[in-house]
Amino acid sequence: MSALTLDHVTKVYKVRREPEVRAVDAVDMTVEDGEIVGLLGSSGCGKTSTLRMIAGFEDVTSGEIRAGERRLNELLPAARNIAMAFEGYALYPPLKIRDNIAFGLLRDRRPRAEVDTKVQEIAALLEIEDILERYPPTLSGGQQQRTSLARALARNADVHLLDEPMSQLEPQLRAILRARIKDFLIEHKLTTIFVTHDQTEALALADRIAVMNDGRLQQYGTGDDLKDRPANLYVASFIGEPPMNIFDTLARRGEAVHRLAVRTKDGDTEIALDLPRDRITDAVGGDLQNGRKLALGIRPHQVRLGSFPDLGPVLKGKITSNQWLGDQTHIGIESAGRLVIAVFDGNVAAPIDSQVEITLPLAKLHLFDGDSDRALHHGLTTEGTAA
Amino acid sequence: MSYLSLDHVTKRFKRETVLDGVSLDVAEGETVAIFGPSGGGKTVLLRLIAGVLDPDEGDIRIDGRSVIGEPPEARKLGMAFQNFALYPHLTAFDNIASPLRALRQSEAEVRQGVERVAELLQIGHVLTHLPKALSNGQKQRTSLARSLVRGPRLLLLDDPLRNVDAKLRYEMRIELPRLLKQMDATVLYVTQDYKEAMALGDRIAVLDDSSFIQIDTPAAIYREPASTKVARLLGDPTINLRRVRPAASTHGVSVDLFGQSLPLHVKPAGAADLVVGIRPEHIKISLTATEQGLPVELDAVTPLNVRSVLLLRTKDGGELLASCSEAEAARLPRGHGKVWLDLSPDDLLLFDAETGERLSGATP
Amino acid sequence: MQRETTRSRIVKGVLLALVGLFFLFPIFWVFLMSFQTNQDILRMPPSLVFTPTLDNYVALISGRLETNAGTLEIKFMGNLLNSFILAASSVILSLILAIPAAYAFARYKFRLGEDIAFTILSFRFAPPLLVLVPLLSYFQMIGLVNTYIGLIWVYQLITLPLILWITRGYFEDISEDIEHAHRIDGHGWLKTFLKIAVPLALPGIAAAALLAFIFAWNNFVFALILASADKQPVTVGALAFVTASGIQYGQIAAALILSIIPTLIFAIAAQRYLVEGLSLGAVKG
Repeated sequence: MSALTLDHVTKVYKVRREPEVRAVDAVDMTVEDGEIVGLLGSSGCGKTSTLRMIAGFEDVTSGEIRAGERRLNELLPAARNIAMAFEGYALYPPLKIRDNIAFGLLRDRRPRAEVDTKVQEIAALLEIEDILERYPPTLSGGQQQRTSLARALARNADVHLLDEPMSQLEPQLRAILRARIKDFLIEHKLTTIFVTHDQTEALALADRIAVMNDGRLQQYGTGDDLKDRPANLYVASFIGEPPMNIFDTLARRGEAVHRLAVRTKDGDTEIALDLPRDRITDAVGGDLQNGRKLALGIRPHQVRLGSFPDLGPVLKGKITSNQWLGDQTHIGIESAGRLVIAVFDGNVAAPIDSQVEITLPLAKLHLFDGDSDRALHHGLTTEGTAA
Repeated sequence: MSYLSLDHVTKRFKRETVLDGVSLDVAEGETVAIFGPSGGGKTVLLRLIAGVLDPDEGDIRIDGRSVIGEPPEARKLGMAFQNFALYPHLTAFDNIASPLRALRQSEAEVRQGVERVAELLQIGHVLTHLPKALSNGQKQRTSLARSLVRGPRLLLLDDPLRNVDAKLRYEMRIELPRLLKQMDATVLYVTQDYKEAMALGDRIAVLDDSSFIQIDTPAAIYREPASTKVARLLGDPTINLRRVRPAASTHGVSVDLFGQSLPLHVKPAGAADLVVGIRPEHIKISLTATEQGLPVELDAVTPLNVRSVLLLRTKDGGELLASCSEAEAARLPRGHGKVWLDLSPDDLLLFDAETGERLSGATP
Repeated sequence: MQRETTRSRIVKGVLLALVGLFFLFPIFWVFLMSFQTNQDILRMPPSLVFTPTLDNYVALISGRLETNAGTLEIKFMGNLLNSFILAASSVILSLILAIPAAYAFARYKFRLGEDIAFTILSFRFAPPLLVLVPLLSYFQMIGLVNTYIGLIWVYQLITLPLILWITRGYFEDISEDIEHAHRIDGHGWLKTFLKIAVPLALPGIAAAALLAFIFAWNNFVFALILASADKQPVTVGALAFVTASGIQYGQIAAALILSIIPTLIFAIAAQRYLVEGLSLGAVKG
């Protein structure tokens, strides 16, 4: 039985004399017991409205929200047994940090000793032990946000809702706090739904991520699903930093070789990406109808530097940027009239303006329909699939 | 000969010293990233160079000429602001045209200049819009266009990518270096993001607590940080720092790290405590016991862009962050598990525990 | 929360109407009075049924007031013109003086800056009569009594602090970066003040000017003491309707309605700036 089910949940805002806004449009999703789910999207995509409907701060226009078999739609927020961390922190200013965290626990009538232990544990986890005796207005944004998180995590609610829980955290603490919070959530089996615009945060914490755009659920899956099997071009070009390289192409059927023609920026010249018929699957071959608009995608760290014709099509290009970031190198290559980004672990020597060849391994290519933007295939070879 | 020199510049607000005798020389055509945590005085430094604030002590020279006392309009430089600072009552065109109008150019020249830079930044189609009708990305490009339109020889960029979304920020990070080289300007680029600093700066000047704590190339700063402070500022996840006590051993001097004895390359003076720094990407993880491997508890795996971060718990209860490629992370469990880690003495950075300064001669 | 039932809409409408009635009733009643004769006005109990007459307005505009005791000369139209000259000139002079001053107080921190600004505000605290008695003797000495210049000068006590303090707030709200950017573009401070600061503070300036105009227009005591008949504004001029043969309520009402009109026009004209607001798309840091 799922901890939470959204069944065709829709939210329509209607202001008189203005066109109605479908902020959330028929969203279906389930959250399993103990699962960590991220709602991801840019501002105005409907993720916060969805969270607020689950919390009970917004009416559901149509559809149903269920916890197990229990319908939540009409329940007041207080009756839903939900813990929430707000984006604006919403700490109680007259209470010490310690009492802010303990507030929900005491309201649940837990014994004082248990509450103290719990507060201490959570404070250590989020590194706020040294500020427990202080008051919210004297704290930095990062400290307030950690307090707000602590308050939500300390409770043992059916569902924990976190709205942009880590947007203000100090960069040096971010990685370790993410890891500790994830460990804590898994260990205590806390069912969690969090909203974020930051995909790094979503990918780091969530078991499954719901990518939203324009009120619609684009894809609901694990981080690996989103990265390796994006459902459509929106997800493909949204997920990943940097996101997938996308080529707009036209299919040309041939005898031994199917060809994807990439139109360059000036529109005159074409660059051919050849897909040998004996290497690609029949299903892929069948989708390469002559003249069909197709988008070809490859994730930046799957691009190979150098010519490996056995792996897949090879492109010529010129290096336009080479940025070493300590543990990885991002290289920009101008090829086929566009910028192709390639990412490598470690440091890669590739001087700017030098001519290079890059290989796009067939096994790592993604094919999308150019009209509907829907994904057709992930990995084009007979040997394996993209990962 | 440096194009821009800061010579022991000090700035105080009331009692608080925001910049404490900072010096920096920037060569003509060079891009220097001023990098550091917020509140370190980066923004004040740019405003002193721009002339909207005056230093209390020290000299600022542009092209060999002291500019102390010169009003901003006489300094002929370009500046882009974090909050864009567009004129809300003027169209994008008039915003960009402002520096050209100050030169009393003819309307035809102004039009030509604005259109050229607008094309370069791909905002030609929004020139008639007021700032409120622009997206954040377009505002950012308009503000950049305004700073570039006059072809200034000195360009001050105050965290210009701060207020744009992640995707756009990434694109600009790739695009900006080429644009800056094309403009042939000397650039100071203020940022709080070490990735931007490493990607854009020929050199990075790390500003913290009102003075520069290291000025060097990105590679040198990342590999040979001057202190634990600098080491913590660069890298995601943050470097692991652990206090240890060196001991004499058969190999010379070694330290006891998570129950493993590691020989040191440098001989620290005396037996004072050291801080060992280990970059997360230098920790090698295996799922099976290895000869040198140290058993640790894996607490959590959190993906980070194209890599993954591992939270490890050592036998003595300490926490350790490691990072590995996605492919390696795919083999790891979701919850707790046992793994073995390998450390090479070559990958250790050593710092003095008291001062935080790095002991030289020990670079990975 | 978003759903609005018919019932709640009706309740809301009724409540709004009540509030409106409460605030607008006096003006509405005066408006009716201005079309009534004194007899109709003084009738007990008051009634909404009467024969409208334009006599009150005719009397005001022609300047001849027929009473039981005979014909009175009144200079109402002259008073109206005086009011306009005094209020408009005071506001214009205050704008010229206060806008640069407000900008300076907002942007530059100088010694005694806050004290000076507060002193200017404190002009509003003193009871006007306290100042007026000594002022009258000084004005008599230097010949400023019963001159427009003298009155406009004294009116600065009302209009200057108001404009200064309101526009100062608006200048402070403009991001310094915007002005700095303009300076760095190569423009001098004067140009930056005129082309950036003033246009961006315009809604505030308009609001302040409107308020100052209303206050100046409504002023009574300064003009009562410092001006004689030919320089009097309407507020003082209306005293003429308290005649030997009784109070001319009809004319007072008509005078009131006429004297509302200029302020009303000014308010409507300034409305565009009042609502436009400052947030024209700048990102707040």
